[in-house]
Amino acid sequence: MIFLLRRVVVLLGTLASVSFLVFLIPYMTPGDPARKILQARTGEPNLDPSAVEAARVRYGLDKSVIEQYWNWVQNALHGDLGLSYTSRTEVSGLVGSALAVTTSLAVTALFIALLAALPLGSLAAIRRGKASDIAITTVTQGFVALPEYWVAPVLVLVFALKFGILPSAGWTGPVSMVLPALTLSLRPMSYFTQVTRASMVDVLESPHLTAARSRGLSFAQAMLRHGLRNGLLPVVTLFSIWLAGLLGGSVVIEVIFAVPGMGRLLYQAVTDGDVPVIQAGIVCIVALTVLITTLTDLLYALINPTVRSSNVPR
Amino acid sequence: MSRVENPAVDNPAVDNRASGALDGTVGAVPSPGASRIRGLRRLRAWPWSLRLGLFGVLAVVLVLLATPWSAPFDPALQDLSNRLAPPGVVHWLGTDQLGRDVLSRLMWGGRFSVTIAAITLTISAVFGTLLGIVCARTKGALDEFVMRVSDVLLAFPEMIVAMFLVSILGAGYGTLILALAVAGWTPFARLARALALEIDSRDFIEAAGSLGFPRTFIILRHLLPNAFSPLLAHASVRFGHTLITVGALSFLGLGVAPPDSDWGSMLADGLPYMSRAAGLVIYPGLAIFLTALAVTLAGRGINVRPRRQGRS
Repeated sequence: MIFLLRRVVVLLGTLASVSFLVFLIPYMTPGDPARKILQARTGEPNLDPSAVEAARVRYGLDKSVIEQYWNWVQNALHGDLGLSYTSRTEVSGLVGSALAVTTSLAVTALFIALLAALPLGSLAAIRRGKASDIAITTVTQGFVALPEYWVAPVLVLVFALKFGILPSAGWTGPVSMVLPALTLSLRPMSYFTQVTRASMVDVLESPHLTAARSRGLSFAQAMLRHGLRNGLLPVVTLFSIWLAGLLGGSVVIEVIFAVPGMGRLLYQAVTDGDVPVIQAGIVCIVALTVLITTLTDLLYALINPTVRSSNVPR
Repeated sequence: MSRVENPAVDNPAVDNRASGALDGTVGAVPSPGASRIRGLRRLRAWPWSLRLGLFGVLAVVLVLLATPWSAPFDPALQDLSNRLAPPGVVHWLGTDQLGRDVLSRLMWGGRFSVTIAAITLTISAVFGTLLGIVCARTKGALDEFVMRVSDVLLAFPEMIVAMFLVSILGAGYGTLILALAVAGWTPFARLARALALEIDSRDFIEAAGSLGFPRTFIILRHLLPNAFSPLLAHASVRFGHTLITVGALSFLGLGVAPPDSDWGSMLADGLPYMSRAAGLVIYPGLAIFLTALAVTLAGRGINVRPRRQGRS
């Protein structure tokens, strides 16, 4: 119970401090926020000073920083994230659709990674020390050093320009998702394979597997009934950590493949100085990240009681 | 206390071979002047990943250091009559869209990429390690505060924060390094803290404390040497990551800007000409990949390497 409380306090604390930092962004960027908000609402490039002053009062920008922060949080909690400075549309809509795109891309990429990593990692564990193990381990470890902005163009060169079987960019359907998801999957694939291998090695050496074999179960039966459950637990944890990490969107991949996700939205917003979009985007990403990691920790504590005791995993 | 890593975890074949060779060395009869040979034997006992990685790192560093004298052409020299030339005798890796020599540009560009990544990493590692050790030894309020700050920093998406800082502070090398170091210290602080807590619980630290040695001395003489190897291994893995991130920012036009160019910006410049001259995209990416791979390999090797006994 104390464990749970502690996690929730940390969660709320993180959210509060992040949102305050994000709230301060307009004060760190050049330009008068009142003028920018009014321009976004009216679309007028030239505003007279009295209108700007009126807007300052209307949007509460003349109040103290703490009051402004409180108003901002309340609006955000009601789904009102303001208007984008550049596109002059509701920020909540922009962020929502971008998040949907990024989520589908991230989930696809992670499933590709799992589909490759589980067999590869298990094979490496079973054939430990043999040539196939060394080959799998070396190649997947090398994936970590691959820059995405290099993999993506090379894949485009081969599959789009040379063979012409996949689109080089855009977001039109499942087919257009193949190359970005493949690029995105390489790095998690590397980690998934290493963790699968390590935990399968533990499982293969565990006494209860030997016991199951000695009761006459075949290797496959023993693995299915007794091995996989323990062996896959670390992989599941890693999966959710990666899911949290990828929801921020990969800026590079989304820019290269013209995917209308979070990464590209925020990249555009940062280049254009579109403060409301930056604020909303960062708060959304951070909230999701913290929520998923906390849920993972709780889930893990539920399954594995030793975590719960005194030492909170950091 | 022997700190040999469980060989099964990392790479069994490598480790068995390595420790076998080491046993051979230990078994050899020590004779006067044998220390040098033993040093060499010990080198041969290193895992192949460490040797290969170090060799790669050394090669990259030497090439980049020698660039001002060894680069075949001026990287900015344009030859518009000879654009997008394929690799040949004069231009080993061909020329780019302005007729500039790709090999020379790669060599000069690497100096930017690698230097920026190295400076960023050094700042992050030194600051993070010191902070982590101080946290572990003082515990209490400071420790709690630093760990919560790192929680917050880790929750931010790294690329977005870097992009944001570059956009408000203006592009430049100082900003680039600052933007990456802002959150870059957190993994080092956490690792150093965990290591320090673990080492602190060992007997020799308590012994040193009860002998009346000052805290700073204990940290410098006993704590840091024991934490050094895992920290170095972590730093090398982070280096690959940093190098790739620096390249990504340059690729997006937020890092190294004209007239300078690094591997990331070269790759971005080459994209429009990819179908005619694929090398413009392939070579800079390959350079980043191989450099990151070499450093990462060396780091993995450090983890696998059978360690000497903890200094105490």
